Amino acid sequence: MFLKRAVLALQALLAATLLAGAALAGPVVNSGHIESELVAQESGIAPGGTIYVALRQKIIPGWHTYWRNPGDAGEATKIAWTLPQGWSAGDMVWPTPQKAKLGPLLDYAYEGEVFIPVPISAPADAPVGATISLNAAVQYLVCEQVCVPEDAKLTLLLPVVAGAAGADPRWGPVVADVLAKAPKPAGLKAVFKLDGQSLKLAVTGGPLKGADMAGAYFFPYSPKVIEHAAEQVIDRGPEGLTLTLKPGYDFVGGGTPPAELQGVIATKAGAWEVTATAGEPPAAAGGLGAPAAETAPATGTSGGLVGALVFAFLGGLILNLMPCVFPVLSMKAASLAGHAHDAGKTRLQGLVFLLGVVATFLALAGLLLAVRAGGAAVGWGFQLQSPVVIAGLALLMLLVALNMSGVFEIGTSVQNVGSGASAQGGATGAFFTGALAVVVAAPCTAPFMAGALGYALTQPAVISLAVFLALALGFAAPFVAVAFIPGLLKLLPRPGAWMDVLKKGLAFPMYGAALWLVWVFAQQSGPLSLAHLLAAGVLAAFGAWLYGLGQERRASGKPALVSILVALLSLGLAIAIATVGALHAAPPTAAATSAETSTGPGLAAEVWSPEKVKELQAAGRPVLVDFTAAWCVTCQVNEKVALSGSKVADAFKAQNAVYLKADWTNRDPVIAKALAQFNRVGVPLYVVYPKNGGQPVILPQLLTEGLVIEAIEKAGQ
Amino acid sequence: MSITRRLVAAGLPLTALVPTLAHAKPAPEFTAVDADGKTRSLSEFRGKTVVLEWVNEGCPYVKKHYSGNMQGLQQAARADGVVWLTIASSAPGKQGYFDAPAAKTWMEAKGARPTALLLDGDNKVATLYKAKTTPHMFVIDKTGAVVYEGAIDNIPTSKVEDLGKAKNLVAAALADVKAGRKVATPFETPYGCSVKYKDA
Repeated sequence: MFLKRAVLALQALLAATLLAGAALAGPVVNSGHIESELVAQESGIAPGGTIYVALRQKIIPGWHTYWRNPGDAGEATKIAWTLPQGWSAGDMVWPTPQKAKLGPLLDYAYEGEVFIPVPISAPADAPVGATISLNAAVQYLVCEQVCVPEDAKLTLLLPVVAGAAGADPRWGPVVADVLAKAPKPAGLKAVFKLDGQSLKLAVTGGPLKGADMAGAYFFPYSPKVIEHAAEQVIDRGPEGLTLTLKPGYDFVGGGTPPAELQGVIATKAGAWEVTATAGEPPAAAGGLGAPAAETAPATGTSGGLVGALVFAFLGGLILNLMPCVFPVLSMKAASLAGHAHDAGKTRLQGLVFLLGVVATFLALAGLLLAVRAGGAAVGWGFQLQSPVVIAGLALLMLLVALNMSGVFEIGTSVQNVGSGASAQGGATGAFFTGALAVVVAAPCTAPFMAGALGYALTQPAVISLAVFLALALGFAAPFVAVAFIPGLLKLLPRPGAWMDVLKKGLAFPMYGAALWLVWVFAQQSGPLSLAHLLAAGVLAAFGAWLYGLGQERRASGKPALVSILVALLSLGLAIAIATVGALHAAPPTAAATSAETSTGPGLAAEVWSPEKVKELQAAGRPVLVDFTAAWCVTCQVNEKVALSGSKVADAFKAQNAVYLKADWTNRDPVIAKALAQFNRVGVPLYVVYPKNGGQPVILPQLLTEGLVIEAIEKAGQ
Repeated sequence: MSITRRLVAAGLPLTALVPTLAHAKPAPEFTAVDADGKTRSLSEFRGKTVVLEWVNEGCPYVKKHYSGNMQGLQQAARADGVVWLTIASSAPGKQGYFDAPAAKTWMEAKGARPTALLLDGDNKVATLYKAKTTPHMFVIDKTGAVVYEGAIDNIPTSKVEDLGKAKNLVAAALADVKAGRKVATPFETPYGCSVKYKDA
C-alpha cells in the first residue's frame, strides 16, 4: 500500500515537473513476451477536446497478438478503460493485420510492434492545469506455437491544457502515421453476391482504380462470413477488383446471411474499410484477371517490356506464313517485282502497306482496349467471335480468291488486266492489302505472340499499344524489306506470263481460307445459318462472274451496264442473306459441340468448367484443359496432331486423367477470365493440373504427342 | 381468404423446414485409437447422441474449462446416455500431444470422464471435421447429423471467472436434442488456441 502510494506520488511529482505539459506514460509492463504501454499523440488535452491515446505493444519475434476478428483461432486484444467522471474512450482503431498461417488454419494477427489508437475525450469542465490518470486494463492473447493469455494494467498521466497542446515529441508522429495508415472508409462502392459455393466481393472506386492489386485481401470483421483459410482469388477490373471468397457459416452453414459484409480491403497501395451490400457486381470490378505478380511462375514467355516487344516483332514476322495471309502477301510481293524498274513507286507501295498494317493493328488494339475498359471480357481474336464478321470475311475471301482466279478485276481498267496496277491504284491497294492481311491474320495467334499479347493487355494503354506496334512492324517487315532492298527485289524472277499462273494457283489457298471461315461459321451459327451463308457465297460468285463479264464486254466496246448492275445486285443480295443468316445464328448447344468435336476414338473430351477442374482435382485425377476455338488454326492442328492419337488416349487411361475442352468459339466470359488467370488473352492454351493438387503447368502452344504424354505422366505421379 | 393464400399459408411451415434440411450436415465417419489402445469409430455409436470435444491440455482455454466445467458437462451428458469423445489432435512434438500413457495420466489428474479419449496425432479426425480450436465442440444426433458445432459457450475468453456468466451452448444443444427440439443455436464461432496441426 505504501509502495503504491509512493509510486503514485512520484508519478504526480514527475508530471508536475513537466510544466509545459507532456503526457507521461506509466511504467512499461513487460510480460516476457510483450512490452505494453500507453502513449499519447498529443502532449496534453484541452477541456472538451479529443486526442488519440494508443496501446503500444512490442511483441518478441515469432509471437503474435490478434486483430478484432482473430480468424480461425485466437482472441482479439481488449482494452477496458477506467477514466475520471465525464471522460470517455471511443472505439479502438485497428491497423491492418497480417495473415498468420497455421497448417490448414489462418489467423489475423500482429507481429513486432503494434499501436492500437483509441480516441479519448475530455469533458468541457476538465480543470486546466490538472493531470489526469487514464487507466487501461488490457487483456490479450499472445501466441507462438503455444498461446498465453496475459493482462496488463496500464496508466497514462495526461495534463489538461488550455488550447492545442501540440504533438507528443516521442510518439506524436508515430501515432499520426498509424492513424494515417489505418483502414478508413474511402467512398469505395462494395457489393457482394453469393454464387453457389463462392462469394463474390466486388469493390470499386477512388483509390482502387489502377492500384496494384497483387496480394489484395479482404479481412472480414465478422468471423462467420467467410472461410478464412481459403484462397481469395483476385480478378482485377478497370475500376477496382473482385475477390472470390469461400462463404462461411452465415452464408452456407445455416446461419442468417448478413445484410452487410463489413471489413478491410487491403492492397499494396493501402487499406480501406468497406461495407458491402448484396447486389450484382459491376462489370468494371473485374474481367482483367489476376494480378501479374501472383501468377508469375505460370506465364513463361512474358519477359518484361523489352521481351514482349521482341516476341511481338518475331510473332509478326511469323504471321506472314499463315495460310490465310501468305497468298495475299505473296501476290503483292510478286506484283512489286513488276515495278522493279521503278524504285520510287516500289518504296511508296512498301510504305503505304506498312501504314495499312500499323493503322489496322492499332485500330484493332484500341478497339479491344476500349471494349475491355468497358468491362467486357474479350480477348485477341474477339472479332472472330461474331458470326457477322465471320460471314463477311468468308465472302471477302471468296471474292479475293475469285479475283485471283481471274474472274474479275478490281480498280483497274480492262487495258491493264494482267499487267499490274497503276501507281495510284497500287498505293490504295497496298494499304488495303495491309489492312486485310491484319484482320485475317489476327486469329492465327502464332506461338510467339501469346505471351506478348497477354503481357500487353494487362499493361497501361501506352505499353499495350507499343507491343501491338512492334507486332505490326514485324508483320510488315518482310514486305517493306522487299520494297526497300533492291537486291531482294532483283532476286524475284522477271514479271511475265508465269505471274498469271502463280496468281491463279495461289487462289486455291484463298478458297481454302474461305471454306475454313465457313466451317467456323457453321460451328458458331448452326446448320440453318450455314445454308444462308452458302447461298450467299453462290450469289456472290455469280455476281463476280457477271461483273467480270461486264468488264470484258466494255473492254471490247460492247454495252455492259446491265450485267454490271445485275452483278452488283447479286452481291448486295448475297451480303443481305449472309447477314440475316448470321443474325439468326442458333449455335449448337455446348454438349452437342463437344460431342461433335471430340478429337478421337480413344480420347473423349468433357466440357470444361472451373468447378469441374476443382472437382476432378479433389478426386485426385490429373486434368488437361484445352482452351480452343474453331477459328483458331493452331488449336485445330494441335488437336489433330497431338491430342487424337491412340498413344495419347492410352496415356490418359493409364493415369486416369481427364481431357477437358474449353471452347471459346463464341464469346464466353468464364473462359476469358480463366485465360486471364494465366495471363493470356487468346487461344490456344494448354494447362495440365497435377493430380496432387500442385501448381498447374502450361504446355507450349505447339504440341507433340510425346510432349502431351510426358506431361500427363508427370501430372499422374 | 382465397384458396391460393390458404395453400401458401399451409405450405409455410414446410418451406421453413427446407433450409434446415438443406444444411443437415452428416458427421464424417472416422476411426481412431483411444487411450486404452482400442480402435473406435463413429459408426459404433450409431443411434446415440455423440459429443466431440477437441482438447490440448496446455491450452489456457482448455484449462479454463477443465477447472470443473468440462468434467461436469461430461458427467451430466453420459448420465443421459450421451457418448462423449475427447479428441487430442496435437501433432507429435507440439503442445498437447498425447501418447496413451500421457493421456491416461492427464485424464486421471483432471478427473475427466469421456467415453473415450481418441489419439489423433496424425490429424486425421481433425482434418475431417476441420477442427480449428481447442476446445472445439460438435454435437451429433442419433441420425448421424451434426446439430451443433463451434464454441463451448458464448464468452470467448480464457478467464475462469467468465464461466458463471456464460451460456453453455453444448449443454443447451444436448437439452434441445433430448427434448426432440430443433437446436436453437446450431453454431457459434469456436474460440481458443489453434489446433496444433503437424504442418502448422
